[in-house]
Amino acid sequence: MDDWGDLLAAANSGDGRAYAHFLRTVTPVLRGVVRARGAGLGEAGCEDVLQEVLLAVHLKRHTWQTGTPVRPWLYAIARYKVVDAFRVRGRGVNLPIEDFLDDLACDPGPDPTEAADMAKMIGMLDGRSAKIVQMIGLEGASTAETGHALKMTEGAVRVALHRAFKSLATLRERHVK
Amino acid sequence: MKTEDLIRALAADTQIERPIARMLAVRLGLAIVLAVALIGVTLGFRDDLMLSLVMPVSALRFVLTAALGLVGVRLALVLARPEGRAQARLWPIAAVAAVALGVLIWAYAATPPEARQMAVMGKTMVACLVTIPLLSILPVTALLVSIRQGATTAPALAGFVAGAAGSGFAAMVYAMHCTEDSPLFYVTWYGIAITGVTLVSTLIGARVLRW
Repeated sequence: MDDWGDLLAAANSGDGRAYAHFLRTVTPVLRGVVRARGAGLGEAGCEDVLQEVLLAVHLKRHTWQTGTPVRPWLYAIARYKVVDAFRVRGRGVNLPIEDFLDDLACDPGPDPTEAADMAKMIGMLDGRSAKIVQMIGLEGASTAETGHALKMTEGAVRVALHRAFKSLATLRERHVK
Repeated sequence: MKTEDLIRALAADTQIERPIARMLAVRLGLAIVLAVALIGVTLGFRDDLMLSLVMPVSALRFVLTAALGLVGVRLALVLARPEGRAQARLWPIAAVAAVALGVLIWAYAATPPEARQMAVMGKTMVACLVTIPLLSILPVTALLVSIRQGATTAPALAGFVAGAAGSGFAAMVYAMHCTEDSPLFYVTWYGIAITGVTLVSTLIGARVLRW
């Protein structure tokens, strides 16, 4: 059992702070995995894939068995999502080399932690769900504050937030096909 | 959206899905009970059902099909986890198939040559080939739905396992009606029905178990 296991076990029993800590701890490692395997996608493309991996980890965290090593589980999800991202973006990756030289020549480009796909998909959610994800994610509001602003109970905000993430995963699948 | 923003939003979502094993047990249990009820109401149980459970050659139908169902369910639960692909061992399914084949060969040798063809063809081949796939729909669906709630990284293989397990249980339920006790009949025709369902389930799994 390692630190990751303790954090994820706490997260899965409802400890939001342990969960945030877990996600922040594994994100740089996952970013490394995605970049090592997905070099051809570019930095922003890799960040898109990383965010897909994080969403998958989030929605599938109940498939981790408490007490078993976290790494094989986590890497299996990352590998599956990276391969999937390549399958989907296969044609897009096949850019002529000049484009890359252009990229290298011009300014550093977008913030490497900024990705476009997730924002696009959040835009496809219904208005209220999108607002909830944005308030909590971008503005750092708590579920209680969000509920207050949208005239919803905190419980309803939590349910809507969970549904929003499930919809995002479904949207992505449909988007891809 | 920045990754840090996404993490903040994800961490606020404390709802977690229920464990797959429990959901699968409930669904599969219901599917099998329903299948038993359907057989009881439509085709009816064989009159000597209790006796057939203690006659070795006849009871073997229940043992083999239940064994296939159980090893399949175990494998399905392994394959429902992302890292399960590396841990899944298919030999228990092969072992059940090998035992069934062994029984078939033994029965072939033990049956007088002039009686073999009649024993293989039986009287209810069509009913068997139709009913087992129909009865499989419920348990195979229960397995596929549950694996889909998991996160398999081997969709086709998981579909294969779901098909083998689900049709194994379906054949077990059908055996409560079926009176053909010769292994020449049941290994052959149950086997063909199970193989067919498993192939279809493999194809379905490859499509619906992606995430």
